Amino acid sequence: MGPQHPSTHGVLQVVLELDGERVVKAIPQMGYLHRGIEKLAESRTYTQFIPYTDRLDYVSSMGNNLGYCQTIEKLMAISVPERAEYLRVIMTELNRIASHLIFMSSVAIDLGATTGMMFGFRDRERILDLFDMACGARLTYSYIRFGGVREDVPAEFIEATRQFLADFPAMLTEHHTLLSGNEILHHRLKGSGIISGQRAVETGLTGPTLRASGVDYDIRKIEPYGIYDRFSFCVPLGTVGDNWDRYMVRMEEMQQSADIIAQALDQLPPGPVMTKIPKVLKPLPGDVYHRIENPRGELGYYVVSDGSTKPYRIHVRRPSFINLQALNEICQGSLIADVVAILATLDPLMGEVDC
Amino acid sequence: MQGKGLLAGMRITLNRLFGKKITVHYPEEKIPMSPRFRGGELDLAHNKCIACGLCAMACPNQVIELTTRTDEHKKRHLTSYIYHSGRCLYCNYCIEVCPTDAICWDKNYENSRYFRHQLDVDCLAISRGKSPNAVVGTNPDDTDKEEGTT
Amino acid sequence: MQEVTGLFMVATMLRNILGKYLPNPQWVDIVITLINIGAIFTVISLSAVILVYAERKVSAYMQMRIGPNRVGPWGILQTVADMIKLMSKEDIMPVGADRWLWILAPVLLFIPSAAVYVVFPFDNQAIFADLNIGIFYFIAVSSQATLPFLMAGWASNSKYALIGGMRTVAQMLSYEIPLVFSILGVVMIVGSMRMSDIVAAQQQVWFIVVQPLAFIIFLIAATAETNRAPFDLVESESELVAGPFTEYSGMRWALFFLAEYANLFAASAIAVTLFLGGWNGPWLPGWLWFLLKTALMIFVFMWLRWTFPRPRVDQLMAFGWKILLPLSLVNVVLTGIGIYTVKYFS
Repeated sequence: MGPQHPSTHGVLQVVLELDGERVVKAIPQMGYLHRGIEKLAESRTYTQFIPYTDRLDYVSSMGNNLGYCQTIEKLMAISVPERAEYLRVIMTELNRIASHLIFMSSVAIDLGATTGMMFGFRDRERILDLFDMACGARLTYSYIRFGGVREDVPAEFIEATRQFLADFPAMLTEHHTLLSGNEILHHRLKGSGIISGQRAVETGLTGPTLRASGVDYDIRKIEPYGIYDRFSFCVPLGTVGDNWDRYMVRMEEMQQSADIIAQALDQLPPGPVMTKIPKVLKPLPGDVYHRIENPRGELGYYVVSDGSTKPYRIHVRRPSFINLQALNEICQGSLIADVVAILATLDPLMGEVDC
Repeated sequence: MQGKGLLAGMRITLNRLFGKKITVHYPEEKIPMSPRFRGGELDLAHNKCIACGLCAMACPNQVIELTTRTDEHKKRHLTSYIYHSGRCLYCNYCIEVCPTDAICWDKNYENSRYFRHQLDVDCLAISRGKSPNAVVGTNPDDTDKEEGTT
Repeated sequence: MQEVTGLFMVATMLRNILGKYLPNPQWVDIVITLINIGAIFTVISLSAVILVYAERKVSAYMQMRIGPNRVGPWGILQTVADMIKLMSKEDIMPVGADRWLWILAPVLLFIPSAAVYVVFPFDNQAIFADLNIGIFYFIAVSSQATLPFLMAGWASNSKYALIGGMRTVAQMLSYEIPLVFSILGVVMIVGSMRMSDIVAAQQQVWFIVVQPLAFIIFLIAATAETNRAPFDLVESESELVAGPFTEYSGMRWALFFLAEYANLFAASAIAVTLFLGGWNGPWLPGWLWFLLKTALMIFVFMWLRWTFPRPRVDQLMAFGWKILLPLSLVNVVLTGIGIYTVKYFS
């Protein structure tokens, strides 16, 4: 199945072994989008690598930037001003909403509800306009830099974000009515693609996929990075670990992200947005691993520095790559139509899977 | 009732059928880009450029190729400035690092070309075409006095 | 004695004119028949062409977009542009395809879709062939559309096509039965299978009032028969690319497409005839009422398509056999009881 297939989230080939319509084995074949980003890192300076991190999981670029910048800040003990921390939280959570909207749209179109997809993309346009206002780009931002954010947001950004947050509950209600309330969707998603919490942990799943199986593991709560410990939000959990739980967990997370953004906007202090760091970074030799909660799971950066301006090695722990390994196990015994639904709810992004 | 969710969904699509449409009739109408929009090609103001080469060094992808010459007063002048737009990541590093604000985005995103070699833009020639009297490497504060118009 | 109105008036006028110029009454009959055939073909082609455009517009409006609006005023020439494009495409036959089956499949699909138009009552006495097994003819001929899907799926020598073909046969066979039983309720009330009798019986009260359950069952079963969403597993784009049509390109694919839309018009027209009163209606001419009601039914079908996701194959079959079939049988029983009660008390 694939790589030219309307619903494989990028270029993914899944080799399906079928018994009639039941799946016996489903082996994902990746690598069609491999661009050698980790190797490229060895010939770029630390600062020059930031635009490359944008392009890993390209629908949640702010998260990728944040992970990398916090890793290097950890390596070099750089502190970040308060306003920059709040702006980072606002941007990352807006990006989480945008990424989950794409998830919802792809679930809708993979199951046949084209209108649901259109509505998801329409709402995401509002968020992309906000990002355009803040940093000039709609998809790959490189806005979050070492020591803070690149520049302060214009005044109309705050106003526009508040307007978006005011309109957001109505958008969510529409999506819930059109998609989540639909009995056909219930029958499609409930009870298929089940993975238990224990198996999920053993396979290395993270993110909403893991939380849908009932395991309460959100890095923002367990190991808060940045200033996430200042916000109060819930972590939605599933019970059964089927497609429906994975879908509902992400829908609920959108609401929680909206709450976080509202709290951050209220607490946003004035001040500088970037600490003074040297133009050319030369960290001391050593290695560091830092992880954040990306919309797709635990995004980790492992940076090995040898004391020069270019890193010796950067390895990215990509959540979609590791989540996709569970495809074979989840697909055992399901029908072809369920394979499509499972792929949609696992939410892999091939830019991240292949790096 | 069993089918209530289905009917609620149908009501939404029916409402949208009679509602406002959000299509933008491109190319007659265009969505305005924000002031910080990063796109198009690099717009070089060669009178402000001091030929330091920082933009070429900051670029992650070796997009900017510039050559300089040093004249008898040990001052550097720009002799060529090629921008390989096909390789550009639009990351904005070159613009941020320029000490004299000599380059900026021209924000014209309608710049598709038929051949790959047309993606390499000779920014110096374009800049000279726009303001032929400006002297390369002039102090940016004196620009207005030097030529009157930029 | 029915009044001479609407299309029948046009037909009688034509007969009178031709009668003056042609020597023999048989000649008049032949010419009228040829004109009728031409008219039916025009209706079929026009309906297919217009429906493609209507579908795109309706789907766009529901998704807050505008749809085609560049080719011709309001985009009405879009289908013409599409047809020209399709005719100019290269005709690729897959390697190992079963040649004659593959070539015949689109043609054999279009024929039943077109052949059912002869029993539609467009107006008072304006049916091409007022067979006394009218509705039975519709059911029989439209069932023939199942086999070409299987032919296309098998002959294409492609995995997607084969799965699509098998799914189609399963789906269409399963939903034939509730379709027939829902029609049976109407036939029981009217007492005859002739289309003009069915329409004439609705002059006072439309059958949707008397048989609401049958109408809903017919709606669902017809959606499944015409392979439209939410029952479009046959061509479910996101799973099987295009099902049995995958390997077709150009004009052959256009034939499949046209057959699907001709089928849609046919299903809507039957729904109008059986449940919505056919051409009955005040003030406006009969054929205009027929067209308006058919347009309304087509809109309902499109509305269903663009709102709902699609169920899985086994859920589809379970729904057809375990829910629709018992419901349609219940409907038949209730109709029988109703008819007997009415006869007993009058």
